[in-house]
Amino acid sequence: MGVDRRKFLKASAAAGAPFVLGLWIPPKPAMAGVAAPPGASWDREPPVPEVNAWIVIQPDDTVIVRIAQTEIGQGVWTSCAMMICEELQCDWKKVRPEYASSNRDAREQAPAWTLKVPGDGAQDPTGGGTPNMGAPATRNRPGGLGVPDSLYRRMRTNAAASVADGRYYQQLAGAEARERLLLAAARLWNAPVGELVAKDSVITHAKSRRRTTYGKVAHLAAATPHPNPEAIRIKAADQWTLMGTEQKNLDVPDKVMGRIVYGIDVKVPGMKWAAVKACPVYGGDVKSFDFEAIRGRPGVISAMQFGIPDPKLLRNHTFSGGVAVIAESWWQAKTALDAMPIEWAIPPKEGAFNTQNMHAALIASLDEPGRTRVNLGDVDKAFAGAAKIVEATYSTPYLARARMEPGNATVLVTDDRVDLWIGDQSPQETRYSASQITGIPEKDVYLHLCHLGGGYGRNGNGPQAEQAIMIANAHRGTPIHMLWTREEDFIGTTYRAMSVARLKAALDADGWPIAIEVRIGMDKEGFGPDASFNGVSRYFTPNYRFSTHTTTFHVPVGTRRGVGQAANEFYRESFLNELAHAAGKDPYLYRRELIGRTNLPYKADMIKALDMAAEMSGWGTPLPKGKVRAIALEERGGETKGAATISAMVHTVSLSPSGDIKLERVDVAHEEGFGFINPLSVRKQIEGQIHWFYNDAVHQAANLENGRIVENNFDRFPISRMAEDPPELNIRFFKTGHWLIGMGHDRATSVQSAIAEAIAQTSGKRIRDLPFNTHDLSWS
Amino acid sequence: MAFELTVNGRRHRVDADPDTPLLWIIRDQIGLTGTKFSCGIGQCGACTVHLDGKPVRSCSLKAGLAAGKQITTIEGISKDGTHPIQEAWKAFDAPQCGYCQSGMIMASLALLKQNPRPNDADIDAAVTNACRCGTYHRIRKAIHRAAELMRA
Repeated sequence: MGVDRRKFLKASAAAGAPFVLGLWIPPKPAMAGVAAPPGASWDREPPVPEVNAWIVIQPDDTVIVRIAQTEIGQGVWTSCAMMICEELQCDWKKVRPEYASSNRDAREQAPAWTLKVPGDGAQDPTGGGTPNMGAPATRNRPGGLGVPDSLYRRMRTNAAASVADGRYYQQLAGAEARERLLLAAARLWNAPVGELVAKDSVITHAKSRRRTTYGKVAHLAAATPHPNPEAIRIKAADQWTLMGTEQKNLDVPDKVMGRIVYGIDVKVPGMKWAAVKACPVYGGDVKSFDFEAIRGRPGVISAMQFGIPDPKLLRNHTFSGGVAVIAESWWQAKTALDAMPIEWAIPPKEGAFNTQNMHAALIASLDEPGRTRVNLGDVDKAFAGAAKIVEATYSTPYLARARMEPGNATVLVTDDRVDLWIGDQSPQETRYSASQITGIPEKDVYLHLCHLGGGYGRNGNGPQAEQAIMIANAHRGTPIHMLWTREEDFIGTTYRAMSVARLKAALDADGWPIAIEVRIGMDKEGFGPDASFNGVSRYFTPNYRFSTHTTTFHVPVGTRRGVGQAANEFYRESFLNELAHAAGKDPYLYRRELIGRTNLPYKADMIKALDMAAEMSGWGTPLPKGKVRAIALEERGGETKGAATISAMVHTVSLSPSGDIKLERVDVAHEEGFGFINPLSVRKQIEGQIHWFYNDAVHQAANLENGRIVENNFDRFPISRMAEDPPELNIRFFKTGHWLIGMGHDRATSVQSAIAEAIAQTSGKRIRDLPFNTHDLSWS
Repeated sequence: MAFELTVNGRRHRVDADPDTPLLWIIRDQIGLTGTKFSCGIGQCGACTVHLDGKPVRSCSLKAGLAAGKQITTIEGISKDGTHPIQEAWKAFDAPQCGYCQSGMIMASLALLKQNPRPNDADIDAAVTNACRCGTYHRIRKAIHRAAELMRA
C-alpha cells in the first residue's frame, strides 16, 4: 500500500482530475509544471524568479503575492495583498494571491532590516504601529506566538491582528520590490533612479520618453539587490491610494463557483479516508474496540487506536484518546466506525462534571478571596458610606465555535518528509507538531495551507492536525484524509470558558458610582479576566477593585471569537444599564458622563462614538411598547496611549408578548484610526459579528452532562438564520489619531446587553444569564 | 451495486451502496466538491443541490433515490461564474469564509426559479441555510439583485 515518493509525484502529475497537487520541493526538476487545482494555492516553485519572498512578477505583469495569514472569511487574502501592493504600485487587477510556504518559513529567516518596527508607536501615522510579535526569535518552540523572525514572521491568524501586526513588514516587502524594479530599469536605461516613476506596474522615464512594465524588468530586479534596504520607508496613512479603498475580496469569484479548495476538498492519489471517534469525556481514552465486528464491511481497510494527543503540542489542552477507522471512502469509514463496538475509559472525576455542579462551583468561588488584579482607592470605605448599593450576578455558558467546515487534515508521512493539506490558523505550530509526532525535522514538513470554512479562534481547530498526523504516521507511505463528523467537531474544539461575575456598585445620592467591585469566576484563568476589567474601570469610579476566582475543570478552554471581552462586556454593559436605571438616568447620557470623568487618553473618541451612534439611531425619539433602543460602548486597549479599537452601537430590539426577540436595527459608529486597509472587509466583519454575538446572546450554550458536551450538532446548538438578520443596518466610520488593534473578533458584543435591556424594559425581567432563549420572556 | 446518476446534465455510472447519501457520491465518486458537508443531519443546508429543480439537502438523501432525476450542483449553474445569481453575489461581495455559500446560492436559486419576485418574507421562508460568518445581510441584497438580473 506504500507509495514511493517519485511514483507518487508522477501519479500526481498524470492524474489530471479532479485535482493535481503542486508540491514545493527544493531543489526542483521533478515538479516543474505541476499545478495546484483551481481555487487552491499550495507550495510550488514560482514560474519565474521571485523579486522577494513575498512577490513574484510574471512577464505578463501578473503579480503573485504570498499571503502568510489564513483566509477564514476575514479577508486577509485581499487585505494582505493590498498592504504589499500599496507600496509595490502594481496593477491591482493583475494581482493573484497564493499562500506563503510554511516550509520555507522553517528554513529561512526574515531579512534583518525588516525586524525593526518603523516609527514611533501607536500615535505615529508614518510608522508601523505597535505589532505584538511575541518573544524574540526562538526556533522550534511550540506555543502561541509563532516564530517572530522567521521568513514569513507571524503566520498565526488570531486576535484580529493580521493587519495590526503584519502591516509594516508587508509594506516594507512591497516597497523593497518597487525600489528594486526601479533600480533595474534605471540601470537598463542608464538613467538616475530618482527620475523614474512607477505606477500600475508601468515604469516611465519622462526625460527619455522611455516606458517599460514590471513584467519586463522583474527578472532583472530579482538579480538586483537593494543597496541600502535600511533606508526604505513605508507610506504614511495620508499617502495611501489603494489601502483605505473598498476592494472586493479576491477569492469571491472562486467562492461563488464552489471552486475554492478547503481542507475537506483535498484529494491525493492513493489517498484513504479516516473517520475518528475520541472519548467524549476530555482526558478519557479507549478501553477496547472490536475491529473484527466491522472488518468485512465494504471498503474497510484498518482500524487503529491513538492516544491522548500530547498536551504540549496543544497549548496544554488535554483532549482525548480515540479510534480511527480507515477505509476507501469516508462514508464507508464513518458508517463502519458507527457500527464498531468501543468501550471508553472514562476518568471518574471528569465523568462526574455537569453544568449544574460546575456552575455551583463557580458561584461558590466568588465568595473566596480570589486573586486581586486591581485595587484603586478604598472600596470598602466607599461602600460603607454609600447612599445605595446595587449588586448583580451574571453567568455565561461554555461556547463552541461551530465553524461550518468540520475538522480535517490530509497527511502523507514518508521516511524523510511530511506533507499536510489543511486549513489551519497556526501552521507554524502544526509544523512543529508534525515534526514532534513523526521525528522528521521541521525543515522537511510541507504544510500546504487551504482556506478554512470558518475560523473564529486560532486554537479552535483542536487536535485535527495531531490526530491526522498520528494516523498517517502509522500508515507511512499512504496519504490519509481524516475528517470529523459534526458531532466529533464539537469534541475536538476548544471552548470559551463558562464564567460568572458579581458586580457591585456603591452609588452616591445622585446615583453616580463612588465604588465598583467586580469578581469574576471562571474555568481556568486567561481568556477573560485580562480583558476589559483588568485596568482602570472604563466608566469612572474613584474606588475600584477587580478580582478573579479560578476553578479548574476538564473542558479545553481557548480563544474563541470575542475572547474574554464578549462575556465581560455583557456583564459590564448590562450592569451599567442597571446602574443608570437605579439612578433614574438615561443609559446613554449616564455612560457619557462617566467616561467624561475619566482620564482615559482616548475618552474623546469614546464619547464621539457614543454620540454618533445615539444620533444615528434617533436616540430619544418615541418607540411603541415592546420596542427598545439600547446603547453600549465597545472598546479595547484604550487604557493606555497604545493602539485601541473603539466603537459604540445602538441596537433597536423588539420583544413580542409571547417573548420572541427581533433585532430590528443596528446603528454602528466605529473609529478607523489612521485608516482601515479595506473598509469593505471591516463592514462585513461588523455585519458578521452582529450575528455572532446575537447567537451567543439568544441561542447558544454548551452544557455538560456526565462530563461530556451535550449540544453536538446544529439542532441543539442553533445558528441564527436569514429571518433573524436585522432589516436595518447603518455603519459609520470616523477618523481618530492612533492605529487600531483590530476589529475582527470583539465588535458587536453589545448585542448581548442590548437585548437584555430590551427584555428588561419591556417585560420587567432582568435576565442575567445567557442565552435568553432558555428563559420565559413573555409579557402582557 | 452500480446505478446511474445525472449530474449537471452528464450521466455518471456510480458503483456504490445506493443508501450512501447523495452528497458523498457527488463529492467522492463524481468529484464535484463545491457541495459541502457540514452537519450531516439536514440542518444547515451547506449540502444543498437541486433535484429536478427543487432544493434538497444531499447529506440526508439516499443517492439511489436520485436515480433518474436531474441533479444540479453549484458547478452546474454556469461554466464561468457568470450566472446572474453569481454576478449578484459578487456585486455585494457576499461570502466571507464561503463554506456555506454553494448551498446558499442553490437554495436561493431554487426560490428565484419558483418565485421571480420574492419579498423579504419569501426569502426568510425559503432560504433557511445556516451561515456561521453571518453574511445574511449581503445575501438578501444579492437575492433581490439576482431576481432583477434574471427577469431582465
